[in-house]
Amino acid sequence: MNDNSTWAFGTRQVVYGAIGAALYGVLSWVTNIFPLPAAGNITFRPAVAVLIFFSVAYGPWVGLLAGFIGNTLGDALSGWGFYWNWSLGNGLMGLVAGLVMSQITDFRAQGQIIKAVIYGLIGIAVGMLFASLTEMFTGGIDFNTALFGYFTPAFLGNAIVTIVLLPILMVAFAAVASRRGR
Amino acid sequence: MLVTWKYRPRNTFIQRLDPRTRLIFMLCIIFAFTIPEIWDYRIILPLFALSLTLYLMARIEWKDVRRAWIYIFILVFFIVGLNGLLSGRGGPSSVTNLPSPVVFEVPIKIPFTEIGWDVPVTVSKIWFALNQMTRMITMAILAIPIPYTMDPNIYGTAFKRMGASDKVSFTMDLAFRFLPTFARDFTITMDAQRARGYEMEKLKGGIPTRIRKLAPLIIPVVMQSTVTGEEVIDAMDLRAFGTRQRTWVKDNLKYAPRDYLILGIGVAAFVSCCVLKWVFGIGEYFVPDFFMSLFV
Repeated sequence: MNDNSTWAFGTRQVVYGAIGAALYGVLSWVTNIFPLPAAGNITFRPAVAVLIFFSVAYGPWVGLLAGFIGNTLGDALSGWGFYWNWSLGNGLMGLVAGLVMSQITDFRAQGQIIKAVIYGLIGIAVGMLFASLTEMFTGGIDFNTALFGYFTPAFLGNAIVTIVLLPILMVAFAAVASRRGR
Repeated sequence: MLVTWKYRPRNTFIQRLDPRTRLIFMLCIIFAFTIPEIWDYRIILPLFALSLTLYLMARIEWKDVRRAWIYIFILVFFIVGLNGLLSGRGGPSSVTNLPSPVVFEVPIKIPFTEIGWDVPVTVSKIWFALNQMTRMITMAILAIPIPYTMDPNIYGTAFKRMGASDKVSFTMDLAFRFLPTFARDFTITMDAQRARGYEMEKLKGGIPTRIRKLAPLIIPVVMQSTVTGEEVIDAMDLRAFGTRQRTWVKDNLKYAPRDYLILGIGVAAFVSCCVLKWVFGIGEYFVPDFFMSLFV
C-alpha cells in the first residue's frame, strides 16, 4: 500500500499534499463557524482527522504540506487572515503524525490503527503546543493563557476528533485500496 | 472531474494586475494586521477602506459572490462578533484586563442543569467585537475576489515566480484547483445523504457519538479523493512529472507600473504598521473616548 520511503518527495507526495490541503481547507472552512469554548480564535475541526489520515497514509511531507497549505486556505476563505504560527503548527501536526507511515502496512489491523492514533495525538500535541506557545510572542498572551486558553481546548478538540474518526477513515481506506490493488 | 471557480475575464484594473502583485498585496495587509498586532481603529479603518476600494474595483457580480458573502457575514457577525462580545477573547488580553463599565449581563445556563452564570458584556468587549469584525472583513474582501478574478491556469506560475520550488508551486496550484471540486463533492454528498434521511441538524448523543455520525459526510469525499489522486498521479507520471525542472507554460508574467504602485502601497501599509506599533507605540487596543461616552 505504501512504498515505505518516509521522506520521499515525488509525484505521489505532490498530489496527495495538494488533495489533503484542499480537503483540509474545505472542511475547515465549513466548520470554522464552531469556536471552542475558552479559546477565542480556535475552532472545532473534524477536518483534523482527515489531515492526520493523509499524514498516516502518505507520509510526513504530505502531512506538512496539507496542514500548512490547508490551514492557510481554510483561514483565508473564512476571513481569519493568515496566522503563520497556526499554519506551521498544523503543518507540524501532519509532519509528526506522518512519521508512522512506514510502520503501517495493514490499515485494518487494530494494533496499527492504535499506533496511528498515538502518532496522531503526538502530532497534535507538538503542533498545537508550537502554535499556542508562539502566540505568546505574536499575540502577547501569557503562558497560562497559552497553555489553558489555547493549547488545552485545541488539543482536546483535535484529539477527540482523531480518536473517533481516524480508525473509521483507515478501515474505509483499506477497503478502497484493496479494491484498487495498490 | 475537476470543477473550477466562477472565473471570468473582465476588463478591470484588478485583473490587469500581475497575480503576484495581488497575492503579495494581500499578504502585506494581512501581515500589517497580524505581525505587529494592530487593534487601533485609526489604523484598521483606513486599511478597510483601501481593501474595500480594491474589492469594488474588481467589479464582481453580486450573484457570483452571494454565497461566499452570506457565509462570511454569518461567521463574522454571529460567530466571531458574538464570541468577542461575550468572551472578549481572540485578541489582545487588554480587552478583558482593562477596567471597563458593564453595559449588560447575559445569563448563560448549561441545558438541563441548574448550573449557570451571568456573562458581563463590557464597553471594551463591544468595541473589541466591532474591531475584530472590521479586521476580518478587511482581510476577507482581499481573498474573496481571487478565485473569481484570477485565471486558475496562472496560480502555479505565480507561486513559482514568487520563489517557491517547482514541486511546492505545483502542490499549491493543484490545491487551489482541487478546492472547488471538493467543495462541490462535499455539497453533493451532503445532499445525497439527506435524501437518504440523514439529518445533520438533528445529530444526537455525546460529542464522540456526534463526531462519529459525521462519518457519512466525510468518508465518501475523502475516499473519492484518494481515487482521484491515483488518476492524477498516473496522468502526471505519464507526462514524466518531476524528471526535470517543470516548464511553466504561462511564464509570461511581468510587472507593470500599476503593479509597482499597488506593491508600494502594500509594503508601505505593512512598514507603517510596524513602525507605528514598535517605534511610536501606536496600534494597541484601546476604547476611544467617543465610544465610551455613548455608554457612560
